[in-house]
Amino acid sequence: MPHYQSWEEFSRAAEKLYLTDPMKVRVVLKYRHCDGNLCVKVTDDAVCLQYKTDQAQDVKKIEKLQGKLMRFMVSKESHSMTMETD
Amino acid sequence: MVLLENDSFLTELTRLFQKCRTTGSVYITLKKYDGRTKPVPRKGNPETFEPVDNKCLIRATDGKKKISTVVSTKEVIKFQMAYSNLLRAHIDGLKKKDKKSKSKKTKATQ
Repeated sequence: MPHYQSWEEFSRAAEKLYLTDPMKVRVVLKYRHCDGNLCVKVTDDAVCLQYKTDQAQDVKKIEKLQGKLMRFMVSKESHSMTMETD
Repeated sequence: MVLLENDSFLTELTRLFQKCRTTGSVYITLKKYDGRTKPVPRKGNPETFEPVDNKCLIRATDGKKKISTVVSTKEVIKFQMAYSNLLRAHIDGLKKKDKKSKSKKTKATQ
């Protein structure tokens, strides 16, 4: 259940986990305005990757990762890691 | 669990964020969806279901109220833009990076 300190590592591990089994993996985002923190979790119910932050600069990164995974999810799974553009 | 259209979902999500500004958390979940509307049948019963490949399920809750929506390939571009804008607009209570490398006094953010 690793907590990642580096966004780069977390993001790479998250994409990798998603690609091993897209149907099983879910991405959870938890935001607490009163505490000023944001927590992302990517899990397939066996492996759980987490990243916590209180930095405004990470919001964009997290939102981009979510967008990327969302696009993977709605694209036909013919090839991985490349974005569908048609 | 309320299943909404993409636009209604985004409106309700905005409301959730606004409600939770003083206390509480907003949880958002994103998962690939194969379009099934019936539970997985027990063994012995043949599964007559054809999974689709191009949908995902987005859920949100504040711990009490639950909302969800299904996004498919046709809607994803529009939805994703609106969704990103929403996140960036509402997730604003975090610390900004100090330009000075030595920060003896950390500024408290409101």
